[in-house]
Amino acid sequence: MTVISTDSKATRRARPKESTILFSVAGMPFAIAASAVHEIRSADSLSGSATEIAQSAVPKVRHLVHRANRAYFVVNSCAHFGLKPTRPTLVLILRDSPVAILVDKIERMADIDAPLALPLAFQGEERRWYRGLSYTDDAIIPVVNPAGFLSRHELRALDDTLRSQRADAPAEMTGTVAR
Amino acid sequence: MTPAAIERNSFVLLQLGRRRFALPSAIVAELAPPVKLHVFAHDTPMIAGVIVRRGRIIPVYDVTPVLAGKKLPERRFYLVALRHIDGQNELSAIPVDGECELVTAEVFPTPEDSPKYVAGVLAIGEETIEILDFEKLVQTQAAASAGAAPVELGNLA
Repeated sequence: MTVISTDSKATRRARPKESTILFSVAGMPFAIAASAVHEIRSADSLSGSATEIAQSAVPKVRHLVHRANRAYFVVNSCAHFGLKPTRPTLVLILRDSPVAILVDKIERMADIDAPLALPLAFQGEERRWYRGLSYTDDAIIPVVNPAGFLSRHELRALDDTLRSQRADAPAEMTGTVAR
Repeated sequence: MTPAAIERNSFVLLQLGRRRFALPSAIVAELAPPVKLHVFAHDTPMIAGVIVRRGRIIPVYDVTPVLAGKKLPERRFYLVALRHIDGQNELSAIPVDGECELVTAEVFPTPEDSPKYVAGVLAIGEETIEILDFEKLVQTQAAASAGAAPVELGNLA
């Protein structure tokens, strides 16, 4: 039996820190880089500017919200991560993509260790969902990839739906989808 | 026996439920104590979560339904072994019920009706112990992986 070196590089090197927002969905912990989030709103406060999107191509998206003349597809995180349905209370509006995500709870802001690569054993969708795993305060927290909520293909499908909805009801679908 | 033959016939016996299984000692790194299992959302069948050992994040495969037909034991040790994935070596762990034993024993061929993850058997005293093929074992699915169920998103308000 071989003994793993206690002197591994992983333990010797201090990892750089990253400012993040720690949030939870269906009781599961997540982190997202604070720089990736443009705004945090309560779901209730956005309901007035939300438009329902009638489409089945991307079931995790059912609404579009408008903020400052830009539009964001609202992704239900429970559906995205395959978790049991909950009633989300907050919306994280992302900075560099036309995506807002529904989450249950913001735990806190925290400077956490920059993420370590996801072990190769993980072979599923999580490779797209996460930038890696961070070990902070005796907990492993997956650090989400902001670009992983909607693929290019999904965005195109949603854009197509919007275009056809605009044709039906032009007055309700103003604004541009943020890119 | 030559040193090479001893290594070939060297196994770690692990306990899962009432049964014992063997893993080639050459791929076993350590027996970890009952450390915290960290669970997070993912989509890979068989993986229960990860443990942290000496600064490394090690995925844990829940093989108990396959090998012992039960859920993960409450208080479990972890047998950490080496896997070869995409051309790289990586440590992975499986939960075990308690202490492990290092033995040297002769390998007998796999019985015809054995599952694919059985790479041979050992005869130790009255007991016949299956040798596990770690790669095949962790790719065995006890049940179809549960896909994301349709989710009712409700209104934003």
